[in-house]
Amino acid sequence: MSTVSTKEENQEQQEEQKNEQEDEKATLEEDYSVPFKPLVTLDEVQVTTGEEDEDVLYKNRSKLFRFDKQGSQWKERGTGDVKILQHKDTKKIRLLMRREKTLKICLNHYVNPNIQLEENVGSDRSWVWNAIDYADEVADECVLAIRFPNSEQAKKFKEAYDNARTFMEKLTKESDKSSQEEDKEETKVNEHK
Amino acid sequence: MASHFQAGAQTDGTNVPTFKIILVGDGGVGKTTFVKRHLSGEFEKKYIATVGVEVHPLKFHTNRGPIVFNVWDTAGQEKFGGLRDGYYIQGQGAIIMFDVTSRITYKNVANWHRDLVRVCENIPIVLVGNKVDVKDRKVKAKQITFHRKKNLQYYDISAKSNYNFEKPFLWLARKLVGDPNLVFVEAPALAPAEVHIDDTYKAQMEAELQQAQNVALPDEDDDM
Repeated sequence: MSTVSTKEENQEQQEEQKNEQEDEKATLEEDYSVPFKPLVTLDEVQVTTGEEDEDVLYKNRSKLFRFDKQGSQWKERGTGDVKILQHKDTKKIRLLMRREKTLKICLNHYVNPNIQLEENVGSDRSWVWNAIDYADEVADECVLAIRFPNSEQAKKFKEAYDNARTFMEKLTKESDKSSQEEDKEETKVNEHK
Repeated sequence: MASHFQAGAQTDGTNVPTFKIILVGDGGVGKTTFVKRHLSGEFEKKYIATVGVEVHPLKFHTNRGPIVFNVWDTAGQEKFGGLRDGYYIQGQGAIIMFDVTSRITYKNVANWHRDLVRVCENIPIVLVGNKVDVKDRKVKAKQITFHRKKNLQYYDISAKSNYNFEKPFLWLARKLVGDPNLVFVEAPALAPAEVHIDDTYKAQMEAELQQAQNVALPDEDDDM
């Protein structure tokens, strides 16, 4: 496909010999495009994050991976802040993560009392766990790994996760109990009939 | 003749404005890797040449609501299809990608541009120099001048490090919607379903976990 003249080649070589300057980058990204008539007009919308009714229990920058079972390899899912969020009314706690810049969701599931964080071979700043994740709004049964900038931060995440897990265990037991009581109530009501 | 690309955006049935975006450039410059980065977050190191074209819908949430880019990820290698005009027809925006570690891929930008504008006369086009994370850069910033002559926008990007990886789509969105201040906003995080994991299921999951635990994560020297 190439149609390059020697003139251009020479020019390129000359240019290469010149020193690179820092302000190059600014001019590089300047908008040289001509005015363009937009294809649609869209009104501004109120942004709903879906996190409005939750408290942030924990937040830290991290990198998330998903295990590709077939290829037996880890694949990146995103880089951004991982959060542990607790709902103000239901008290349920979930893990949520968005990719930086595009703010798309790459992790979204409730902390499950039966699921523990495990170590990954050869890393002191990562954790591995099983999940049924809803980042893409459909159930994805997967193995995930999360890596932190250092082991100290990884430790802090585990502490926060374990606290959340203990809390969710209690919460689940309580709701099981109350639903059993509700069942009893219902039986009583039925007996009266 | 009425030009089809001024006809406005399509909708995907849920009234989300949808645009056809054409992604072209030489084989191996990183087009598919770039799209995958936006789709699933993964960074594919292995090179598997794209055959023909693959269309991927990419949804972005903006302060003016959600939009969808149907990205036409095309075969860069001529032996895997060469681009027929059909791929370009009704394109509403385009990304021309080259690899800053390969001079020939920059030189060929002129050809990709010529083929593109022959079909799509007046669409916003971004020129993107990928792989800027590589130390041995061959196409220096100063040498990148094509966009000035042809009135395109330019970005240095790295699909590997995510440097500027949102910029091409953000710029296209701003042009197509006509708002230079448009920004990406949080996608709504719906409440996930509650899942009960019983002991049988847990045992099954644990086998998978053990397998995964024994596979090291990539790039452990990554300083994030």
